[in-house]
Amino acid sequence: MARLLLIEDDADTAGDVLDDLRGRGHEMVWAATGPDGARAARDGLWGAIILDRMLPGQDGLRVLQDLRRDGDRTPALVLSALGDVDERIRGLRAGGDDYLAKPFALGELAARIEALLRRPVDSRATVLRVGSLEIDLIAGTGRRGGRDLDLLPRELKLLAYLMRSPGQIVTRAMLFEEVWNYRFTPKSNLIDVHLGRLRRKLEAGGEAPLIQSVRGLGVMLSPDA
Amino acid sequence: MPELLRSTTLRWALGIALWSVLLALTIFAFIYWQTATYLREELAETLRLEVRAAAADPAAAAMRVETWTAMDLHATHYGGLFGPAGARRAGNLGAVPDRLARDGDAYRVSATVDVAGRTLDDEIWAAALALPDGGTVVIAHDTDEIDRVRVTTLRALGLGLLPTLALSGLGGVLLARRARGRLASTEAALAEVMRGDLRKRLPVGSRGDEFDRLAGNVNRMLDEIEHLMGEVRSVGDAVAHDLRTPLTRLRARLERSRAQARTVAEFHEAIDQGLAWIDQTLTMITAVLRIGEMEDGRRRAAFSRVDLAEVVGVAVEFFEPVAEQRGVGLTVSISPGAHTIRGDRDLCFEALSNLLDNALKFTPRGGVVRVGVDRSGGATVITVEDTGPGLPPAEHAKVFQRFYRAEVARRTSGNGLGLSLVAAIAKLHTATVTVRAGATGGCRFDLVFPSAEGSKAGAPSV
Repeated sequence: MARLLLIEDDADTAGDVLDDLRGRGHEMVWAATGPDGARAARDGLWGAIILDRMLPGQDGLRVLQDLRRDGDRTPALVLSALGDVDERIRGLRAGGDDYLAKPFALGELAARIEALLRRPVDSRATVLRVGSLEIDLIAGTGRRGGRDLDLLPRELKLLAYLMRSPGQIVTRAMLFEEVWNYRFTPKSNLIDVHLGRLRRKLEAGGEAPLIQSVRGLGVMLSPDA
Repeated sequence: MPELLRSTTLRWALGIALWSVLLALTIFAFIYWQTATYLREELAETLRLEVRAAAADPAAAAMRVETWTAMDLHATHYGGLFGPAGARRAGNLGAVPDRLARDGDAYRVSATVDVAGRTLDDEIWAAALALPDGGTVVIAHDTDEIDRVRVTTLRALGLGLLPTLALSGLGGVLLARRARGRLASTEAALAEVMRGDLRKRLPVGSRGDEFDRLAGNVNRMLDEIEHLMGEVRSVGDAVAHDLRTPLTRLRARLERSRAQARTVAEFHEAIDQGLAWIDQTLTMITAVLRIGEMEDGRRRAAFSRVDLAEVVGVAVEFFEPVAEQRGVGLTVSISPGAHTIRGDRDLCFEALSNLLDNALKFTPRGGVVRVGVDRSGGATVITVEDTGPGLPPAEHAKVFQRFYRAEVARRTSGNGLGLSLVAAIAKLHTATVTVRAGATGGCRFDLVFPSAEGSKAGAPSV
């Protein structure tokens, strides 16, 4: 669990986010203005910073740019109001590591923050193992126990993403961004069909399910042994 | 009257009048100058000849001078024969004019002359030559004739200018009056438009002049504004309607659960259902806002080079499992070569994904959805064709309107915004999207993108 800084001027939104993330075991600190947030960001050691785009006193992106210019690499997630234009691009250019448009589901925010906290993942590993599951990204092969899995390239990529964060909730939007590499919110059933196909391949030998659905949030790969 | 003075037409008329006056003045000045020079030269030549003739024969000089002055009917000829001491021997000049060179050439000088028994000072043109005996012969002519030319010219100018000025001014006032008359009705119509009556149109005359064309253009602009206003209003109504439905259901569900749910699981179920409805509503609001953003062309920060072949490949692969699940074939054919455009790859994916979603939704089990990428005349064309029921031609243009649900779509899920988003994305990319009947009776959507090569020069780097 981590220390997180929330820079957000809207007290209601801040209250919901603080409660939710505290409930997930994080230690939360709230700053309501740009200058306060900038000061807090410099004074403390943070696992991640969540900051709103529009802040009184100072633009959220300015705060972030200043931090980055001073060499602060703390993972940052930029929040922004729905309907703002090209916000994601600006947020990422200013040094944000992830971006979420309001209104967002609290579960989505939590899942993304946890993904940021897990960084940096050792993405150089080319053979991944979780329980009885093993995949070789170079050879493009997968095995469960003693059984070879016949995986399509995209399925291998999907599995690899899930296996790099076992036991963590991954939302459908995160999956789509990472595996298909497009930023867009597809209808949830489209991702579910892909997951369903992958599940059937993983469980074709009558094994226990590896990929669990988390209602209303996303999926999670749990080690079976 | 002050309003008339501010009138552009009147100012133009006055300007033109002023210009004509200047032109007339210049022409008159030129004519005067030419005439005067000519007359002066004629006179000078006569004087030179006369004085030379008189000096050539000193014995007859007195007679020549007398003949010259006697030839004169209007008392304009002067002459004189003077002794070496300056005493007059003949003629009507009082004395040899001062400063008159005796070289036989004509000069303008002042002199004392005797006319009709009186002595007076006059300006004359005179030529003088010395005689062998030291005397001087002078032949002269007064300047009145040349001066009269100037006076006549000036009088003619004055008499001509006044009517010119008066007529131009009058013409200007009349023109301005008439233009004001035409403008007044236009202004009255515009005032009504500005008060909010967008159905009012400007009067258009039958002459087809600039003024009529302008009024016609303003009317077409008003047509477009009225059409857009109507669209905005109907979109507003549709949003309100589409918001009310899920909110009503949500309200009923919450009320019912509050009264009836007994267990935590039952409450959770009610909340999950509520969240699903809220998400559906938010999706619709987001879509409306994004369409608006894109129609304003405000979403180009992410523009870069996009390989449409890659986008189509990934999109088709993404939809393949769901097509298989529905028992619909999904085929793709990508012509060889580059299919690069300038654009936002995420939005291109979204547009294609909406077209695919739409095609799969309306294609019955056993049908086929064909996707193609091809180049045609410098443009890149993405085609999505299905074997569904198709659309009547009357609905072809309407399917891209916000909240429009085609007859065949009434019983399917969807918010009537998917194809509007496609149209908005196309517009943002200066691409076009059209629908027509497919080869096998279904729908065929064509997304035509201008190629990156054509637009590369002026495009900012991202």
